[in-house]
Amino acid sequence: MSLAAERPASVRVQERAETVQEDVRYEGLVTRAIAFAIDAAVIDIVAIAVAGAVALAVSVLSIPDVVDTVLLAIGGALFVVWSCGYFVTFWSTTGQTPGARVMRLRVVRAGGGRLSAGRALLRVVYLTLAAIPLLLGFAPVLVDERRRGLHDMLAGTVVVEVPEVTPAARRGEPPGVPPS
Amino acid sequence: MLRAGLSLATRAGGAVGRRLEDAGLWAIDAALSSRLAREAVDRTLESPLAERAVGRALEGPLVDAVARDVARYAVVERLMDRLIEESVLEHAVDRVLTGPELVRIADAVLEQVLDSDELWALVEEVAQSPAVTEAISRQGVSFADQVAVGVRARSHNADAWLERAARRALRRPPSERASP
Repeated sequence: MSLAAERPASVRVQERAETVQEDVRYEGLVTRAIAFAIDAAVIDIVAIAVAGAVALAVSVLSIPDVVDTVLLAIGGALFVVWSCGYFVTFWSTTGQTPGARVMRLRVVRAGGGRLSAGRALLRVVYLTLAAIPLLLGFAPVLVDERRRGLHDMLAGTVVVEVPEVTPAARRGEPPGVPPS
Repeated sequence: MLRAGLSLATRAGGAVGRRLEDAGLWAIDAALSSRLAREAVDRTLESPLAERAVGRALEGPLVDAVARDVARYAVVERLMDRLIEESVLEHAVDRVLTGPELVRIADAVLEQVLDSDELWALVEEVAQSPAVTEAISRQGVSFADQVAVGVRARSHNADAWLERAARRALRRPPSERASP
């Protein structure tokens, strides 16, 4: 029996993933924070616009206080759903939220590949948990070799840099071909 | 003897002929420089006959023949060469450029152009053309790209600096893989 066969399959998969991704660059805390800030701005702007429109509509109706409270609770719940849905949708489809697209980063599984919706949802939950202890859950990004935060480690994800696509590459030309 | 007589007669005939030619030419010169000739020319040119003659000449094949000959004998080129050699063209251009006529003409042309509805219709047409709108949007995207590139470069530097500081604080060796 070979030495490779003695190791568990999960370890071998992890090693292979690391070998394949040797040239991959992982994104750091500041870059990711900027991407997150852009996403937060998008989420909040949409939420404020919708909330403003609903509040205007409700203001012309004479609604009891109890209903107001219920509407507020529904609004809060919708905000949570909207925020989670935003990240889950983008992470599980392209791996890039709009903020990540601007900062050229992508969330992928640690072994490579796209996140499933479930894993993306778990990452949102872990992200929230990592933020609770005064953001200390993000500190491992500073020292981890793959720049993973607590939420990345728990969800089995990494944040990688998306290489820039040159116009020549976009046209399908091989590198080194001078522009015509 | 007969030959000598013939030769004498021939010489005498030639001399008489030359005298007659001279007399004829003198008569023509006198006629051309006479008041009557000037009057005749003036009246002819003022009459509808002159207009008709010019009109017929321009109608007919004369213009084509002249144009052919002008091209064949490189009349324009020779004329231009001569004008350039004599610096006539240079003086003319100087005079036009430094004189008030050019400004006056330009003002008049500009005023007419700006007053014309066709110009504004054309401007509107050009401004709404897909090529122009595409160029403007491409310019906007390119500016946003430039800003994003700048932000990314700075954020990568900040990532590296922050990680070095964190590793120093934790007395860890500097990372070679994660740093940009």
